[in-house]
Amino acid sequence: MQINNQQFSRTLITKTIMNMKKIGAFFLLLLLVASCAETQKVTKTDYENLEYPELNDFQKPEVETFTTDNGITFYMVEDTELPLIDVRVNVRTGGVLVPNEKTGLASITGTVMRSGGTDTYPSDSLNVLLENRAASMETGIGFSSGYARMNVLQEDFDSLLPIFVDLLMNPAFPEEKVELAKKQTKSSISRRNDDPGQIAAREFEQLIYGENSVYGRTPEYATVNNISREDLVKFHDEHFNGQNMMVGVVGDFDAETMKKKLQKAFGEVPAGEKTELDFPDVGYDYQQSVNFVNKSDVNQSVVLMGHIGGLRDNPDYPKVQVMNKVLSGGFSGRILQVIRTELGLAYSPGGQFGMNSFYPGEFYVQVRTKSSTTSQVIDAVKKELKRIQQEPISQEELQDTKDQILNSVVFQYDSYDKVLGQQMSYAYRGLPSDAFEEYIEGVKATTVEDVQEMAQKYLHPNQLEILVVGNKEEIGDQLTKYGDVNTIDISIPQPGEDSQKMVEGNAQKGQELLTKMVHSVISPDTDLNTLTVKGDVTQMGRTMSTTMTVDYPDAIEQTIQAPMGTLQLSYKGGSGTMTVGGQERPLPPAMAKGLKSTLNRSFISIALNADSVNPKFVGTEDVEGTSYSKVNVSVDDTNVMLLIDPETNYPDIIRYKQFSPQQGSQVTVENRNSDWTVTEGVAYPYKQVTFISGSKSAEATYKSHKVNK
Amino acid sequence: MLRRFLRPLSIVLLALGIFLQSASAQSLEDFEQKVTEFTLDNGLKFIVIKRPVAPVVSMVSFVDVGDANDPTGHTGLAHIFEHMAFKGTHQVGTTNWEKEKPLLQKVDRTYQEWLTEKYSPEPDSAKMDTLWKRFEDLREQAGQYVKNNEFSQIIERNGGTGLNAGTSMDYTVYFYNLPENRIKLWFNLESDRFKNPVFREFYKEKEVVREERRRRVDSNPIRRLLEEFTAVAYTAHPYGRSGIGWHSDITANTIEDAREFYDTYYVPNNITMAIAGDVNPENIKQMAKKYFGDLKAAPEPPPVYTKEPDQRGERRFTIKGQSQPILLMGYHTVPESHPDFDALQLLGSILSGGRTSILYKRMVEKEQTALQVGAFNGYPGTKYESMFLTLGVPNKDVGVDTLETTILEEIEKVKNGSITQEELERARTNARANLIRSLDSNSGIARTFAQTEAQQGDWRKVFTGLQDLEKITLDDLQRVAKKYLTKENRTVGAIVNKEDSKEVANADQ
Repeated sequence: MQINNQQFSRTLITKTIMNMKKIGAFFLLLLLVASCAETQKVTKTDYENLEYPELNDFQKPEVETFTTDNGITFYMVEDTELPLIDVRVNVRTGGVLVPNEKTGLASITGTVMRSGGTDTYPSDSLNVLLENRAASMETGIGFSSGYARMNVLQEDFDSLLPIFVDLLMNPAFPEEKVELAKKQTKSSISRRNDDPGQIAAREFEQLIYGENSVYGRTPEYATVNNISREDLVKFHDEHFNGQNMMVGVVGDFDAETMKKKLQKAFGEVPAGEKTELDFPDVGYDYQQSVNFVNKSDVNQSVVLMGHIGGLRDNPDYPKVQVMNKVLSGGFSGRILQVIRTELGLAYSPGGQFGMNSFYPGEFYVQVRTKSSTTSQVIDAVKKELKRIQQEPISQEELQDTKDQILNSVVFQYDSYDKVLGQQMSYAYRGLPSDAFEEYIEGVKATTVEDVQEMAQKYLHPNQLEILVVGNKEEIGDQLTKYGDVNTIDISIPQPGEDSQKMVEGNAQKGQELLTKMVHSVISPDTDLNTLTVKGDVTQMGRTMSTTMTVDYPDAIEQTIQAPMGTLQLSYKGGSGTMTVGGQERPLPPAMAKGLKSTLNRSFISIALNADSVNPKFVGTEDVEGTSYSKVNVSVDDTNVMLLIDPETNYPDIIRYKQFSPQQGSQVTVENRNSDWTVTEGVAYPYKQVTFISGSKSAEATYKSHKVNK
Repeated sequence: MLRRFLRPLSIVLLALGIFLQSASAQSLEDFEQKVTEFTLDNGLKFIVIKRPVAPVVSMVSFVDVGDANDPTGHTGLAHIFEHMAFKGTHQVGTTNWEKEKPLLQKVDRTYQEWLTEKYSPEPDSAKMDTLWKRFEDLREQAGQYVKNNEFSQIIERNGGTGLNAGTSMDYTVYFYNLPENRIKLWFNLESDRFKNPVFREFYKEKEVVREERRRRVDSNPIRRLLEEFTAVAYTAHPYGRSGIGWHSDITANTIEDAREFYDTYYVPNNITMAIAGDVNPENIKQMAKKYFGDLKAAPEPPPVYTKEPDQRGERRFTIKGQSQPILLMGYHTVPESHPDFDALQLLGSILSGGRTSILYKRMVEKEQTALQVGAFNGYPGTKYESMFLTLGVPNKDVGVDTLETTILEEIEKVKNGSITQEELERARTNARANLIRSLDSNSGIARTFAQTEAQQGDWRKVFTGLQDLEKITLDDLQRVAKKYLTKENRTVGAIVNKEDSKEVANADQ
């Protein structure tokens, strides 16, 4: 490897450019081939002029590989420095294989493989056995691969290897450990909005790949609830077999003996079937978008800007990575130079043009800056992205960038562990074993023109998805100049459990029944826009008078005479205000959301949206002497059951499930409507009783209702 | 691309069976042969560890000064100085030092005048504006000579990796790795930056530091809790202050302050250098003399005089926030130099290290109240009287009071002598194994050796410290628990969610 000449060539080229005015092109050529000694005399500072010896002789250690009949490929490399042996198993599996409704299954399987132990070595005894010997065994399943790893003292290797293989192949998945892992996953979900960086990374991924795509989705309470022990067993059985495995061993051993030990220990692993990892296409359309997440307990904005990235097997890979390095490589990258050093606007701005092996990566620039300089940062980043497209970089900057990459090549191989890890990773990703060397050749060949061409081809500074996570009050209207701001709701969806399940039933009869209901509550010649009701609500032993005006589809004005004073709610399109004792406050997002979902599930909203609620007749039910027709409708992806009176066609009973923050679980809500009164073509129940999980929680009596007033 | 001729670090260790019992002694014996140490006449200490695994080398400069040494009213100064050490020297980072130098002096003078006016009893806002304009104008003039990040760029162009630095309460550490043939570059640059600091772009860098503060502390729930926690737990000792600096102190810090700090603490007898990798110790010694020999000897920097007085009673606080609950409990203990430190360290490991630990088994696995639980001795530093800290992250729908009750119950059991010999042995075994595993990289070795040498006076304590752990008995564990983990010596702090009404109730009642 000739990596020790880069510094000289850099100086040389710099110098040549500086002298260009004085000397002719022919001379310039001569200078380029001049000896290193020549460059020593003509430099700016000592540091440009240091003379370095040749790098000490070294060679990449050989990794020995072999394959067994059951399809496992083994990689071995001896490293006698410490009396340790490290075994890693790479398994072709991953979260990508899991359907949306069970998101989280792969990682929970990886966790419980280890936490649950095996029948022979149950969790507790396994932990004691390992920790008494300072040995470690870990397992895990990520998005596009799974692993098991063992690190032991050399002397314990023979006794622990069979246990490791047992753990890999025969995890017990005890029910209580499955439940524990699910509980922990839910606890993590409940904490996912605490850190602004975590919010930004997650939401940006969803902007690029789509919320429900395999690349953008995240585990939710509901998807975790859908996961059972059987799912774990099945997921493990399908993928943990010989055809899907690579085993790497590094440490203090004799290769010949080790080979026999491995053949014996892994010999019983069934070959099984090779897993096909299917990575769906990312249908990405470039677009400019401005997205905002409010986090009122921070004083700094996390700004992410970017779009889709690329694939590792793109022949442009080395050139794009050089361009990427010019833009955001270390202390030398332009983003850091400008945003941190010149403008003092951020601590560690950076970015990358991601080129994954299996699916396109993301291109992004990330900057965290105080709220007041949010748009200044966005403008500065845009400017840099345009500059690298519009102006060729200098020869010097190109050479500096190449030097960064080429002079550090030796660190790619500075430990046995890294050498082994890289070879296995390349094999797993289907890259040729000399992919790194090929990349280095590509870097060497990259020109000034290439960098500009790559920037023009792959960067879209006018079509960036901009995401800001920050403090709305402090940021103010800085974002509006980039377009309509899309406010992202990050409140955590509460478990839908069975209320989200698809209901089987008669669709045609459902539609007929619903149509009858619609006509009975809103007469066909009435064009309902607003509805005002007045009455008294009794809750927890207190009666309060109330007036409420609903402006369909999505606005409410309500006044409640509560014991502590007048409470005024004003809600429209997802947000609103609450005034108590003359003090106006923004409506807490959870409350606004609650209001909206209650409104959407009201029988009038259902009647107004009758063509999009997917009604299904699911049978009849006798309640207090009446045989009601049951029609299930779908509102905001949850099920609402209407019990329709066969004679009046009024929905006398309405049932649905919702999450109760107080109880931390799903509760059944049932509204019973009676004393129906018709005014101006609209029927309204003057008595409404609400039951939560079977107990009466509120009662309302109305005195009047007015239409479009 | 590793060396063909490997010289195994620990031939002796190949002997099976006795590894765990005597690893420390043997590793020490082995390292004695790999380590060359020398001290220059000016007091600068070097530790060179020959490790020819690959043709690379890691360098660590360990300065025995941290944020605990920040002058009163100037928190964050040690940290800002660390940032300034990347801003170049008389040679690096400037196009014309002769012209830049007087401008930098004027910039600082003007800023100081502005500060004086700002803090005067009746500040004259017109005068402040004028001064500020002049300050900005001068800053711009000085800026025209700046070569952005040249110091870092030279290193990166030469294939340097892992370039960074860090400031803790106790120390400041600078480090990177180079291909071994470029070690001379490090000598050039490192000696230059410690001999000729320039405080270039000081005022702009303060804004960068503010962003670092906003990111690391202001916007991070657990760091907000920790900052509040030490402020409550320490009333006198500087361990109670913000390390990165309070915003108002950051405003108050000037170039002159930074220079005084440098003159006092960045002196050769306060710095330890460690170099690990494929190097020739003789060459290193020669270069050390050549490049660092003229660093001026200076008096020993002053110690921190303040001692934290005995706590007179339990302290508790609650932060109501938007984030999910977290519990912290801490007890004042001892510095690393105190004989009880080891027992407290083992106690932390027995309580929460690994899947067999007491708190993990009960809280994470059995009762499932905690998502995470931790206990360790040594926060926020180890040089002065430290704290034994317990941290609990409750599972969903579990309150911090539940965790507090459980942790206190387990601490009571320890005081009653519940820890078994097996648990103690396991903690020792894992301490030994952790050490061995940490010695597998140049940067890890260099960092560990430099730090141990600087803080404990001898790098050999890396190994002999393990032998000290052997002396700890069950009685010691019980004794330190009784002595330090008491109610009146305790601080309890928690984050509770604003929407939850529960505060940290006193779990004793």
